[in-house]
Formats: sequence, C-alpha cells, structure tokens
Amino acid sequence: MNAHSARALIRGQLLAGGRRAVGSVEREQYRCFSCTVRQAQQQQTPPKTAQNKDGTTHFGFETVAEALKEQKVRGVFSSVASSYDTMNDLMSLGIHRLWKDHFVRNLNPGRNPLTSGPSEQKGWNILDIAGGTGDIAFRMLDHASTINHDAHTKVTVADINPEMLAEGRKRALETPYARSSRLNFIEANAEKLDMIPDSSIDLYTVAFGIRNFTHKEAAIREAYRVLKPGGVFAVLEFSKVNNGLFDAVYKRWSFSAIPLIGQLVAGDRDSYQYLVESIERFPSQTEFRDMIKDAGFLVPGQGWEDLTGGIAAIHKGVKPA
Amino acid sequence: MASRRTSSVLLGTFRAASRRPATTWRQRCCYHSYEYNSPPPFPPAESAILSAALSHVPSYGFTADALRLGARDAGYMDVSTNLLPRGVFDLINYHLVSQRLALKNSVQFPSAGEQGKKLGTGSKVRTLTLARLRANEPIIHRWQEALAIMAQPSYAPASLAELARLADEMWYLAGDESVDSSWYTKRASLSAIYSATEVFMTQDTSKDFIETEKFLDSRLGDVMKIGGFIGALTEWTDYTRHSAVNVLRSKGMRV
Repeated sequence: MNAHSARALIRGQLLAGGRRAVGSVEREQYRCFSCTVRQAQQQQTPPKTAQNKDGTTHFGFETVAEALKEQKVRGVFSSVASSYDTMNDLMSLGIHRLWKDHFVRNLNPGRNPLTSGPSEQKGWNILDIAGGTGDIAFRMLDHASTINHDAHTKVTVADINPEMLAEGRKRALETPYARSSRLNFIEANAEKLDMIPDSSIDLYTVAFGIRNFTHKEAAIREAYRVLKPGGVFAVLEFSKVNNGLFDAVYKRWSFSAIPLIGQLVAGDRDSYQYLVESIERFPSQTEFRDMIKDAGFLVPGQGWEDLTGGIAAIHKGVKPA
Repeated sequence: MASRRTSSVLLGTFRAASRRPATTWRQRCCYHSYEYNSPPPFPPAESAILSAALSHVPSYGFTADALRLGARDAGYMDVSTNLLPRGVFDLINYHLVSQRLALKNSVQFPSAGEQGKKLGTGSKVRTLTLARLRANEPIIHRWQEALAIMAQPSYAPASLAELARLADEMWYLAGDESVDSSWYTKRASLSAIYSATEVFMTQDTSKDFIETEKFLDSRLGDVMKIGGFIGALTEWTDYTRHSAVNVLRSKGMRV
C-alpha cells in the first residue's frame, strides 16, 4: 500500500515534471474522449525524423528532449507494470498471446540433443531485451524444454525498468525456471549492453519494446555487436495495417478504446495514450527492414512477416557468418 | 557534435553504396532472353546453407534437421535457419529451381548438320523430361515427403508456379516457337505428364528406372494420340461444315 502510493506519487511528479519541462507542448492539457479522436486524426502524419537536430526526439506525438525520453518511458512502464497483463489482454482482445506464441514457435529455440549429435555447444544463449515481465522468456524456455528436449538453453531477460523486472521475477516463481541458472534478469539499457561480451548471443529478441527506445539505430548496432556470426535478431512489434478499411477500424479502436480501457482498468490514461501514439510513430515495415539491413544484417525473404493484417509484424535479421 | 554527425552520415552513404551489389540479387529481368545473363536465383548466404542442407537430404529427408545440419556445414548456427522464412519448403524450392536452371547446361542437343537427321521437338522434350527426372534420382526415396509439403495449401500456388516454369523451360530449350493457342496446351499437357511421371517414379523399383521411362513414353504417346485425334476431328468437322454450306448454296439458299 505504502509502496503503491509512493509509486503513484513518483509517477505523478514524473509526468507532471515531463509536461512542465516540455513546456509549450502543442497539446491542450484537458483531453476528453472526443478530443483524443480528433487529435489523433489531425496528427496522423507527424514528421518522420526520429532525432531532430536540436537533440530532441518524440515521445508519442510530443517532442521531448532526448535525455528526457528514457526517463518518461521508464515512468510509463513503472506505472503499468502491475496491470500489464490484464491490460494487454483487454487491448488486444487476447491476440497478443497468439502473436507471442507464433513468434517463439517460429524461432524454434533450443538444440535437440537427439538429432544434433554431440557438440561443444549445449543449448542456445538467448537475450530477451525489454522483456521485463518474462512473457517471451518463459515461452522460449518452455519451447526449448518440451519441443526440443533441451535442458541447457539459457535466457537473459534485460529491461531498463526495475518495476517490470520485479514483476517478471515474481512471475518466474510460478515456473520451473525460477531457481535454475537458465533464467536470469538484468537491468540494462539496450543501447549500452556493456555487461554482454561481443559475439556471445545466439538469439536476440525484442517483443513490443523497440518502439520505446530513444535511439533505435544504436540499439540495433548493439544487437549486431553482441550476436555471434549467424545469430538472429528478431523483433515483434506493432506495425502498419495494410488494408485501408481495417486500418480505419483499428485506428478508431486504438485511439479511442485503448486510452479509455487504460483509464478504467489501470487508472492511468496518459500511459496508454502514450502507448497508442508511440505505435503510430513507429516506422513502417519497409522502413524498419531497411534500418535492420543498414546495421549489416541479412534479412530473410522480404524481411518481415505481418500478423493480423499488419497490426503487428515480426522482423528478423541474421548476422552474416 | 556536428562533425560526428556528418561523419556518421558519410559512413551511412558509404555503407549503402557498398551494399548495392548485394541488393542487385533481387532484381529480376521481366523477360526471358538467352542473351541476358540472369542473376543467380538465391542470395549467397541462403544458397550456401541450402546447398549444404541438400546434401543431408538423402539421410535426413526434407526436414528441419537437414536444414540445421546444412547451416552448420555452411559455417552458420542452428538459429540461422531463420534466414529461410518458409523453412523446409525453401529447401524443396531450392532443389526445384536449381535443377530447372541446370537443364540448359546438362542437356546438349547435337546441331542439325553433324548427325544427319535433325532431332524433332517431341524427342527433345522427351530427353529433357528424362534428364529432369534423373536429377531427382539421389533423393527419390525422400521425394514423397517433398510432394506432401508442396501440396500444403500455403505452398501449393508456389509449387504449381514452379511446375509451370519447368514446363516452359523445357519447351523453350526444345526450341518450340509456337505462338498460337497450342503454346498453352503444350505447357499444360507437359506439366501434367511430368508431375504424373514424377509420382510414378517415387514408387518405381525397376533397375535404372526403366519402368519410369516406359511410363513417360506411353504418356507422351497418349498425348500424340489425343492430339492426332483432335486434329483429325477438327479437320473432319471443318470439311463437313463446308460441304453442308456448299450443298445448301447449290440449292439456291443464301448462306
């Protein structure tokens, strides 16, 4: 109770501080239901440049100083950590579970000892970035153990946010991996993974995280550094809907229903407003594919796979051997 | 700060420029010409993994295990098989495409002057079909697995398109120059014959696939017979129609 109220206080200060620091944000303080929709439609095409010349970046549709974004994103996720799962289910109508299952099944983690024969390397070394609550990590370990009979694959969960990591640690207690060396949690910024040596990771995953990074290119370069030659960089992230009609319905849902659900269920409208705005600002499938290519990765086929008509997409890159 | 940014921009353009040769892989020529040297059908990393994986097919079949072993042989890791978005079907597709493209080098027809009698288009097609079937020989005991995967709804369109390309390639190499509706019927009938013979071959236990060769000959014979019958029927209908019209005209009817 005490912690909760303290967190609420901190959140309030952060968000208020953020607003004050930004000062002349081109946005009204008061936002009712209808205002949100109107605003969303007015600002459909915000400027694409990720980093402006004067050291600012975008935070949803707002423009903030680069140094502030990390802090603000941290604030958002601290405030949503406890209700993260319920909210995901409500916002995506449960589909996010299917996406995550598909993502993991497609990557097929784990080294089957029956078919792969004796070898110096046992299991994969997986790094799950921005995976605080362990969603992807537990699925990876389950897949490796039950499908590939692999008891050695390790997952390192890294997140910038201690609250999300705490949530993940709590959830890990309900899995068989809590006290094994196969799962560990570290607090890290994806742009500076100094504790991870070069060429040490088989599979680097980010599920619904890269959208919030201040410098996406830097994070992708860092991924390239830590991956072994032949290692895979895999991203599950919201993307652009292909069908115009479906897109209209989807925009309506995301800009009106999601902040409302956030307000009713999590008691936090601003964080979910940020969520939908950050989805809108994320590069399209082709742009993001090109970012991955520019970092030096080989991309499979066209470079991405659309999920549910492009609401989300899986991007992959392979570090050349 | 500014200078660093410019240098990173420069680096970016340099990188883009150096990457350009790699992207030309994907550029396709939209017409078929023997004068145009077509680019290799697969990018280098993919073909390294797939060709290595193909050598494991006789013992592991068309499976993810063969792909994984291939990746390891090519200096990649198990996880690198994610480079192939369609997994095992990419392996099958690689076999189909590379064997189709190999036809033009593996089958050489003697030119007309040397051997006296010129080889007819029909016998050229027969030679080409047999050559293509022989290319399945090392993996024929695993080919039913591949056929099953190719028949899956998500892969069926791609497989049929590849079959059409194979039939087209064989008629092209046989020197067919038809520009009428027989262009379509030739390709359709060859596709049907080829796929039927391929299925027959998976169950053929005869020495050196003699039975498959006989099967192919009788199917080609069928087409000749049907073609001949249709030709004769058309001629007869045409003649009868003309005569009927002429008889009516001779009776003073204005037709």
